[in-house]
Amino acid sequence: MSYQEKKTIVSIVSGALLLVAYCIYAFGRYNSGAIAQGDLKHWAGIMLIFIGIGIVLTIVIQIVFHILLSISIAIKKKIQDESLDDKEIEKSIQSEMVEDEMDRLINLKSTQIGFIFAGIGFVTALVSLVLGYSPVVMLNILFISFSAGSVLEGFTHLYFYRRGIQHG
Amino acid sequence: MAKKFIISNHIRKLRFFANEMTQQELAEKAGASRQTIIAIEAGKYSPSLELAFRIADVFGVPIGEVFECEVREE
Repeated sequence: MSYQEKKTIVSIVSGALLLVAYCIYAFGRYNSGAIAQGDLKHWAGIMLIFIGIGIVLTIVIQIVFHILLSISIAIKKKIQDESLDDKEIEKSIQSEMVEDEMDRLINLKSTQIGFIFAGIGFVTALVSLVLGYSPVVMLNILFISFSAGSVLEGFTHLYFYRRGIQHG
Repeated sequence: MAKKFIISNHIRKLRFFANEMTQQELAEKAGASRQTIIAIEAGKYSPSLELAFRIADVFGVPIGEVFECEVREE
């Protein structure tokens, strides 16, 4: 499995965990009656907190992932050839993490699919308002569709890495 | 009738004749990732013109000896 695939799996797992955590926390509080019906301010607060947690979590997880991956590559290289010096090990770590045109194309197409999903969520949220649902429902559809869109983006990444990708 | 361009390559053969050059070595010399070289070799990705020229340059052969295009009528 390549570095890009591993990185994508880490992103998918952290994104999915965050989405599940949000659903458990927010809907748990709603079901227990801690949030009053139609209390938009409270919902917006929870979403903002989870967006913040998401950003911090992504940064921390990516840093930890890079450190662990670098260590594992260094150990693997050292086991293969004990005479390797630090510079050569560093070079092999860098070559493992290189990002090129195929990665950029996959990023572009996956982001496009993620945004299409989020766009569909946005329209669904508007439709829910037109149909007379509460703005809280609309807000939740928006938040969940954007979060699920980013998870879908990760799966699309993996799909393209496995199946291949063509220009056009 | 539309034409379909099917691009194939001889990278595996060229690597063999280049003293069994590894995919990693080719990737480093061509400035791409190993994953991309694997995908190109398997026909899962068609590289840009620039990368195609860089791969040909690594083997020291014209681009036509690395990549081949078959045109099919659909």
